[in-house]
Amino acid sequence: MSEDLESRLRAALRPVAPGDEFTRNLIARVTKDQGPEANARGARGRSSKPSAWWLSASMAASLLIAAGVQHHLQERRETQRGLEARRQVIEALRVTSQKLNLAYEVIKSESSPRADDEPGV
Amino acid sequence: MRNHSLRLFFALLAPTLALAAPNPRLVLPEFSALAKKATESVTITLDAALLGMAGRFLNGDDPQDAATKEILKGLQGIYIRSYTFDKDAAYQQADIDEVRNQLSAPGWNRLVQTRSRKSQANVDIYIMVANNQATGLALIASEPRQFTIVNIVGAIDLDKLHKLEGQFGVPKLDIDVPKAPAPNKK
Repeated sequence: MSEDLESRLRAALRPVAPGDEFTRNLIARVTKDQGPEANARGARGRSSKPSAWWLSASMAASLLIAAGVQHHLQERRETQRGLEARRQVIEALRVTSQKLNLAYEVIKSESSPRADDEPGV
Repeated sequence: MRNHSLRLFFALLAPTLALAAPNPRLVLPEFSALAKKATESVTITLDAALLGMAGRFLNGDDPQDAATKEILKGLQGIYIRSYTFDKDAAYQQADIDEVRNQLSAPGWNRLVQTRSRKSQANVDIYIMVANNQATGLALIASEPRQFTIVNIVGAIDLDKLHKLEGQFGVPKLDIDVPKAPAPNKK
């Protein structure tokens, strides 16, 4: 009885060569599984170049922005200096005209009979 | 050889002539001691570069700016020192004499001198003329509580100053530019 069971088990567990269909399926499955990994590896390989490009581009952009900011600040300083110079010119003319007016008032008072000023032109 | 000698002569003469040429720019003292005592002080120093810069910020469409722009043409500098005090006799005439003495140099002509006993306001206007063109103007106004020194350097067109009448309060003084340099009247 036990010998019969043993022989039946051996028969059931004997090595069997896989069929052609199994081999095809397995190869197809392996190929399918390797696809995305291979794609990912490829993508990683390609992404090393764009990162260098982005670094250069961002550096160039930073330089351009810095130059732009510098130019803007310079222009702003020039504008402030120009406006201050303009204010001073107007103030200078105001003071000058005020004093010319003072001279004029004294000269004008010469014509007044009650004036005791001593203008001379 | 003679040509060479002449060139050398003029080369040596040129700096002497340059030194002898009257300078319409006055040396204005700092007046730092007076500035501390003053209740109000105006110090304006505008050289040719700053005047040019100011001119770029004047709007030609605005009548006042346009008139100012016209006056600035040919000017090389505007220098003003003005101090106002809260009491009489806060400054001495000696403080101004340093500037007044410079106006006795050749080239300067006193155009206007006013003395008011009533208001005790004295105004002297000097002008420097070269080739029938005013090249410098100096104004010294002294009042009991205020003194002002104005020095304008460059080709001053007094007619343009007249155009400012009613805009900066500039009066019509009816002053004429002397046709030829006259001896200093001071």
